[in-house]
Amino acid sequence: MSEPLVLGIETSCDETAVGIVKGRKLLANVIASSVEEHARFGGVVPEVASRAHLEAMPSTIQQALEISGIKLKDVDAISVTAGPGLVGALLVGVSAANGLAVALDKPLYGVNHLASHVAVDLLTHDEKMRPTIALLVSGGHSSILQVSDITSDIKSLGQTIDDAAGEAFDKIARLLQLGFPGGPLIDKESKTGKVDAINFPRGLTNPKDLAEHEFDFSFSGLKTAVSRYLQATPEFVRADVAASFQEAIVDVLLQKSVKACQQTGIDSLVIAGGVAANSRLRAVAQERCAKAGIQLRTPPPALCTDNGAMVATLGSLAISAGRPASRLGIEAASAISPSIPIWA
Amino acid sequence: MAGVFALISLVIDTATDRTSVALFHRNELLFEGYHDGATAHAEALPKLVSDALAVEKSINQVVVGMGPGPFTGLRVGIVFAQSFAQARNIAWRGVCSLDGFDIDADEYIVTSDARRKEVYWAKYSKGERRFGPQVSAPDYVAELPEKKFGFGFGPTIYPSMAMLLAKSQSRSVTQPIYLRRPDAVPTSERK
Ligand SMILES: [Zn+2]
Repeated sequence: MSEPLVLGIETSCDETAVGIVKGRKLLANVIASSVEEHARFGGVVPEVASRAHLEAMPSTIQQALEISGIKLKDVDAISVTAGPGLVGALLVGVSAANGLAVALDKPLYGVNHLASHVAVDLLTHDEKMRPTIALLVSGGHSSILQVSDITSDIKSLGQTIDDAAGEAFDKIARLLQLGFPGGPLIDKESKTGKVDAINFPRGLTNPKDLAEHEFDFSFSGLKTAVSRYLQATPEFVRADVAASFQEAIVDVLLQKSVKACQQTGIDSLVIAGGVAANSRLRAVAQERCAKAGIQLRTPPPALCTDNGAMVATLGSLAISAGRPASRLGIEAASAISPSIPIWA
Repeated sequence: MAGVFALISLVIDTATDRTSVALFHRNELLFEGYHDGATAHAEALPKLVSDALAVEKSINQVVVGMGPGPFTGLRVGIVFAQSFAQARNIAWRGVCSLDGFDIDADEYIVTSDARRKEVYWAKYSKGERRFGPQVSAPDYVAELPEKKFGFGFGPTIYPSMAMLLAKSQSRSVTQPIYLRRPDAVPTSERK
């Protein structure tokens, strides 16, 4: 099967998403988000997300079918995010996928959410797969991966030891009374601010921390620093705080990513996840990668945030690579290493 | 659809610790299987349904218990049933899971485990639900005059697949029966 037709389902957080691909060609990418229901709580509420997934699932599948013009009986396989993520939310997607696979008598691929964020890059060009470093940054995760083969050989080089990058954006947005979700709001506010107005700390970048946490991140100290600054500076300039905070995050994310490329001798960097939509991250990444001779790939924002197309893509790549399907009744896992891209 | 019952019905319930699957030709049982385990629904259900399909492949409708029941397991059954029906392009019907308890009595209350020291319950008269479903403390339910069956008042009981199928004809529901609002604590506040 050279060009498998795959339907992918993603429900690891607050997006109910269904994507359909044929080989590496995108046919549909439909997302129903419950973000507005979470906004009044200032963060994602797992039970609210799970209920919303159940409610949105049938119509999201239906829309993806209509857009792609295919029928469920024509798909070659179903692919689904099996983890990591919120377990109650994941289970809605996994069970929907199981229902489809059993009804259609088609193979089911349970895939790793982090690996699928990287896989989506292959939808945006038709070059051959090659080893890459991946920086994954979102509300749920912040990781640096060494991807030697997307369906079989991924190594985690580092990850956050406290908050995810997206969570840091949410928390600072709340401190600055900008609203939720924080990422786009801080990005916008920062446009009129000075990136070097305040020198906020870069977590885990001093020599002592680097020895133990070379490619890990920590954002909780940054939050404390911003909070202290706001208390000590009643006449603070909101745009400057936003821009300086954003700069601290962007700086540390890219310092470590570029270093990961240099140390592994890999000259390709993929940046994905919701925070990859950040305009400052994209701009600084371009500069630094050009300088270091690294080929930078940043999928379009609609494919960076959680989506079903990325799940379908990884399923499709797994089939093309001859990987076996997952066993019947795969479980969802709230935490699982990216070194397992496809569930057994 | 032929007669009162669609020809072949796949019946699923995950509203209790038990994952139950049955297959009927009209109201004649072709297959029944279950698996016990409070967190095993997602894993057990696809296997049970595969076993059922080994008996008969062509299904005309899916009937599913819509709760009340512990949310995570409950959703597994509902979304599986809906997706199965969507893939096969057939109808699905939801039923209140408590309606599936097959009790031999005139006036009675049935209960199931709602966790957090509460029970889900409903009141029946001659097999028809007259009040509920509700979620309450067992002490409150204990003071009601009717005879009680189920969790907290006797052995745990499970929905009868034949009852769920029968009730799907007369009293179907389209929404999951939660009876509780979500705990409104964002993930970022939990650490
Ligand atoms: Zn993600």
